[in-house]
Amino acid sequence: MASVSFRNIQKAYGKVKVIHGIGFDITDGEFVVLVGPSGCGKSTLLRMLAGLEEITGGEILIDGKVVNDLESKDRDIAMVFQSYALYPHMTVRDNMAFSLKLRKADAAQTSKRVADAARILNLDALLDRYPRELSGGQRQRVAMGRAIVRDPKVFLFDEPLSNLDAKLRVAMRAEIKALHQRLKTTTVYVTHDQIEAMTMADRIVVMHDGIIEQIGTPLELFDRPGNLFVAQFIGSPAMNVFKGTLRHRDGQSVVEAQGGTWPAGPVRGRDGQTVHYGIRPGDLGLGSAGQGTAAKVVVVEPTGAETELVLEVGSEQLIMVLHGRTAAQPDDRVGLVIDGRKAHLFDDGNGQRID
Amino acid sequence: MTLKWRDVTTEAKLLLVGIPVLLWTIIPVYHMFLFAISPRDQATSGRLWPKEPTLQNFNHVFEQKHFYLNHFWLQLGNSLWIAVAVGVLTLFIATTAAFAISRLKVKGGRTVMNLALFTYFIPAAFLAVPMYKTMATYGLLNNRWSLVLAMVTIASPYCIWVLKQASDKLPWELDEAARIDGATPLQLFRLVYLPLMVPSLVAVGTYSLLLAWNEYLYGFLLLSNEKHLTLAVALGNFLAADDSPWELLMATGFIYALPPAAIYYAFKRYMVSGLTAGAVKS
Repeated sequence: MASVSFRNIQKAYGKVKVIHGIGFDITDGEFVVLVGPSGCGKSTLLRMLAGLEEITGGEILIDGKVVNDLESKDRDIAMVFQSYALYPHMTVRDNMAFSLKLRKADAAQTSKRVADAARILNLDALLDRYPRELSGGQRQRVAMGRAIVRDPKVFLFDEPLSNLDAKLRVAMRAEIKALHQRLKTTTVYVTHDQIEAMTMADRIVVMHDGIIEQIGTPLELFDRPGNLFVAQFIGSPAMNVFKGTLRHRDGQSVVEAQGGTWPAGPVRGRDGQTVHYGIRPGDLGLGSAGQGTAAKVVVVEPTGAETELVLEVGSEQLIMVLHGRTAAQPDDRVGLVIDGRKAHLFDDGNGQRID
Repeated sequence: MTLKWRDVTTEAKLLLVGIPVLLWTIIPVYHMFLFAISPRDQATSGRLWPKEPTLQNFNHVFEQKHFYLNHFWLQLGNSLWIAVAVGVLTLFIATTAAFAISRLKVKGGRTVMNLALFTYFIPAAFLAVPMYKTMATYGLLNNRWSLVLAMVTIASPYCIWVLKQASDKLPWELDEAARIDGATPLQLFRLVYLPLMVPSLVAVGTYSLLLAWNEYLYGFLLLSNEKHLTLAVALGNFLAADDSPWELLMATGFIYALPPAAIYYAFKRYMVSGLTAGAVKS
């Protein structure tokens, strides 16, 4: 177990800079998820930590020791790849024992550790099979088993669930989380799927274009996104965002937009300033016509436990999620009830949150 | 109905191409076999099957009962020794080169690949004289190593090319996983790369082995002492006299053709998958 520190990490391929000075710390035993859209540099950052990519600038520390110039094998890390990267010509047992064998570990010790890992991951019955004889989920578990056997300081996961179908992905998500709670090994997990990030992480690092947009616990990011990018990236369905003009009236703030006024709670910010108004689909309340802001129902999508509505306000389409069912029909006129404290305001220029 | 008709015409077209190709291939072989089982005076009778088929010729060959066959077993052994040596050496060179270029991404790898491709444009016969001079310089003439080295030179570029293509198809993550697991490049080569390359290695090894086994020109050029000749060259020497013993020539030729056929048959599964590996990007 160990802490991990990134200090002003930069990465360039020739003249193209892909990571522009990233710094943050991961404490011992923490589960940190790096999340962001394709090309944001999250995998590159992970691969630099793994020693698979050169570090152009800055320092990476594991357990307080700079590892920039250490080979992968000397960093005491284990990595799980998206493609599993199991050795096709070795049985599950040999795959899991490979690293110990290279280390010339004692045979009895090796087989004990393989057996332990297999028991944790329910692989006991599969130890003598070859990877080609396993299902996707089983292969994923073997890849994890290979990492566990090492008992490394840090686990690295590079989009490990992307190749699995939706149902299996949810199951494996829980399995990985349970595994972490049991082993308490520091974990860095890369994904582009914000739901994976939300459900698994102790802390999330949101990356975009080679910089960190925000670091925080899942609920911090959800409740108080620091900028427009994070607001729109975290949460599903995504936050409704549209432009408007900020007004202060009687100690309350509102935003004028789409022919209506939208409550925004008391916020700082200049009267008359152009802002982005954001409201999560779950924070929109459905009222009768004449109540709140006027809207028209476009589509009703019942999913059972929840109902998703697509609404039209002015030229804007908004998504609303209701917990329960509704009698609303397409083309109905309704009102939108909004608690101003749930609204998020962002500066039009730099996209930063306005409180 | 239309579909069926189309199947029939397709089949017919295939047969139309296939039958001539088959005959084209089979007739010389059959001709050789016919000579080999005919008594001396009937060898050129022009019959489709000899009146009195005999295995006498093979007996002559095995017991070296002719002037041209005085060193039959020795020469067969030379052929075998040289072919195996070429196969092993080429395999070693091509595998290590492909591993270094494809997996370790050594600097200059592209240049080596381009040069390898370039050598295809030079016919082997073109290099015969320079090769002869080179071997003479190193005092290797009439030494079987000269033929081995020459054949390795000719076979290697193609083999490097094929193995490099096949190597490129191995998932890159395997190398990274092995590196993280603590493998040195040599361990990666031995424990991960080689086992996964077996089909391509068999194909390439067989290719170079057969290339050397069948080689005539370079053998003729570089070896001259009867005891050092390969059987391929010795067969050519049958034609030196006006009155060539055709039935023995053909019997020896038939024997000489058997090992390649056996090897090809044994490894045909690998040959097809190995030599086409990397032909298409998947």
